[in-house]
Amino acid sequence: MKTRKLFVALSLLVVAGLVLAGCAQPTPTPAPKPAAKVEPTKAPAATQAPAATKAPEVKISNPPKTAEEVDAIELKGKNVTVLYWHNRPQKDQDFLQGMLDEFNKSNPYGITAKAEIGGASYNDVYNKINAAIQAGQPPEISVAYQNQAAFYRAQGAVIDLAPFVKSKKYGLAEADLKDYFQTFLDSDKNPQYKGEVLGFPTQRSMEVLYYNADWLKQIGYNEPPKTWKEFEEMACKATNKEQKKYGWAFRHDASNWASFVFTHGGRIITEDGSAYVFNSDAGVQALQLIQRMFEKGCAVEIPTSERYGEQNRFANGEVMFVLASSSGLPFYKEAVDKGAKHKWDITIPPNTGKPVINLYGASVSVYKTTPEKELAAWLVIKFLGEKTQTAKWAINTGYLPVRQSAVADVVAAYKANPAWAGGLDASYARMFDWAKYAMVEAPVAGYDPVRALIDKEILSKAIADPKADAKKLLDEAVKQANAILKENAPK
Amino acid sequence: MTVRSVPPSSVRPGRLSIAGLIARAGWSRLAIYLLLTLGALGAVFPFIYMITTSLKTYGSVITGNLWPWPPLGAETLQWKNYADAIDAIGWDKQWGMYLFFRYAINSIFVTLAVVAGVMITSVLAAYAFAQMHVPGKNFLFILLLATIMIPGDLTIVPKAVMMYQFKNPFGSGSWYNNYLALIVPFLASVFGIFLLRQFFMQIPKDLFDAALMDGSGHTRYLLTIVLPLSRPALVSVALINFIWAWDSFKWPLLVTRDSNMRVLAVGLQQFLVQEGGTKIQLMMAFSSMVVVPVIVFYFFTQQYFTQGITTTGLKG
Repeated sequence: MKTRKLFVALSLLVVAGLVLAGCAQPTPTPAPKPAAKVEPTKAPAATQAPAATKAPEVKISNPPKTAEEVDAIELKGKNVTVLYWHNRPQKDQDFLQGMLDEFNKSNPYGITAKAEIGGASYNDVYNKINAAIQAGQPPEISVAYQNQAAFYRAQGAVIDLAPFVKSKKYGLAEADLKDYFQTFLDSDKNPQYKGEVLGFPTQRSMEVLYYNADWLKQIGYNEPPKTWKEFEEMACKATNKEQKKYGWAFRHDASNWASFVFTHGGRIITEDGSAYVFNSDAGVQALQLIQRMFEKGCAVEIPTSERYGEQNRFANGEVMFVLASSSGLPFYKEAVDKGAKHKWDITIPPNTGKPVINLYGASVSVYKTTPEKELAAWLVIKFLGEKTQTAKWAINTGYLPVRQSAVADVVAAYKANPAWAGGLDASYARMFDWAKYAMVEAPVAGYDPVRALIDKEILSKAIADPKADAKKLLDEAVKQANAILKENAPK
Repeated sequence: MTVRSVPPSSVRPGRLSIAGLIARAGWSRLAIYLLLTLGALGAVFPFIYMITTSLKTYGSVITGNLWPWPPLGAETLQWKNYADAIDAIGWDKQWGMYLFFRYAINSIFVTLAVVAGVMITSVLAAYAFAQMHVPGKNFLFILLLATIMIPGDLTIVPKAVMMYQFKNPFGSGSWYNNYLALIVPFLASVFGIFLLRQFFMQIPKDLFDAALMDGSGHTRYLLTIVLPLSRPALVSVALINFIWAWDSFKWPLLVTRDSNMRVLAVGLQQFLVQEGGTKIQLMMAFSSMVVVPVIVFYFFTQQYFTQGITTTGLKG
């Protein structure tokens, strides 16, 4: 009888545990706390400044609000560890850690930087960071697109880097700042938070037009399209439905759409980030162009399930034009070499008079921890942005370096690398001239759901019904996008 | 419509023509078989695609060559893709082995622990629900079932937050980036309890009464009578949870950060480089290696699995 009772009690305990586990709700999570208290470290007696010359004590806020506050942070002997979450594969992780090991050896503050793979995509890292923020345990730094950084900022989790950049002791000298591509730096100044610098670039890429040069020549053109009119004409001339060959590979990608809007003279969001405006005349013209391309059968849809289908089809000579990230260059090169082996190149996307580039590449954001950790995190980012590091990273990954002084080294390395044979180093070099035309999509919190909305409510509907009223589709989507913007606006 | 039946003697055994088959089975049955065959082919196709792609060159993948090997092509089977896939994932400096094997060890350990845990908790809970007189057990059961209705994606972040906050009783730190986070939250399966309860309920009460008269208690009755009778259902629960734990991707990615804590499904995603591209043949080679244990397990247990599904009222 005792056994029976014990058995019933045990079984009920298991069931009750299960029910509780199923119904468990998260406890309200406080805002991210400092990850660890840094023990006050006694400076060695010999290096102590005499009392008479002691600088006036500066109160350091968390995060530091001024360059002076940053200057006042003492790092020596604190042995801070900086964890960096990124989305690169293991090969790049090893390479990155190799660079960080150099930093760990050379920095005079005893900082230890460690890179970790947060996921294979920016979204993976984003989800992971959000959970970590809720738990109050974010890493010290991570990759983050501008809109993602804005979302973290809305939760008080990322910090403004401006005081660190301006710091006399730890910041960047004027010459260094000028060495950075200005548009790359500007892309991290957040309009929703009065220009706060919510991330800092260590790499960039841009959306370019990949084109099959042999095919273009075959249909009578020696140059890639400069305008959308030429693009449409060439794509339609290239199309042969019977042979399943199409002028343009359409991707379900909000960034592709943004490029179309930019190059038609429009914007995705206003400069101050207060309202989505992709339903402007430029947006309507861009959407009508896409609709015409489908109506005339000059474009082929790449289903979302066919990952990198546009790359494979391009490599196999099935599509003539693809709009995609410049960081895909090494992948395109290898795919074409193994595929149709045709001559190909990249160019700036067509436009309606004014050249524009959609700037890609996430920055590195710093999370609110302790002033010491935040400073250590900044020093890691500063190191990764140095000429040698940004050049190394660019050569290893295909991204663009962030400093002008690194360009020559990177181009030379590509020229010497057989994997980049075929004159592509020249194309790569041209991208740096295009950097000045850079625009960013929407550096605001809540842009991720808007991206999904753009695909669902605009692109998918427009290609399914090329006769659909473009203005109506855009107006409806902008209305919904602005509601999302309002929901995520700084409180 | 009537289907004319043909006496078996009119069809020669061993050498059946299509007409003979139709005559014997009837059009409707033939249509059913045809549909089932198509369905089976549809189910098998992704596996065929995976295996064949894993043995192609990158060039054949790009050009969409379906059969690049003799007699249609001149390529040889690219077994080296498997070695390249293992190599591409990287090296585990801590244990001095390819990360693939480290991931595999983690996958095996986590999966076995989860399956063992689920079996224990599911058997105990299902038995209580099915065979014991516990006040309010039906209400509890409905409450339990209700948790299935909550989408997993909705609770994944709160659960991950808990992993950060729970203290590791066996060492320093929290459950995050620890086997505890990979195993403990999945030691109980509502679906497993449901499935076993359905099965246990079919066992006649008389058996328990007889066992009681022979001096048996619940524990002995469960271990010596109920469990041996429930082999098909137990195998089904084990197999379903095995597949689930083995394939789990989102959760391990969310609650681990070190390469040496990750599992095979997480490693697989490394073949997709965002804003870059992928080597499909390597990805497929990796996938093929990942699914082997599931196929082997299913191969040895499929008979029980089918019985388990059909005898628990879960068939469509």
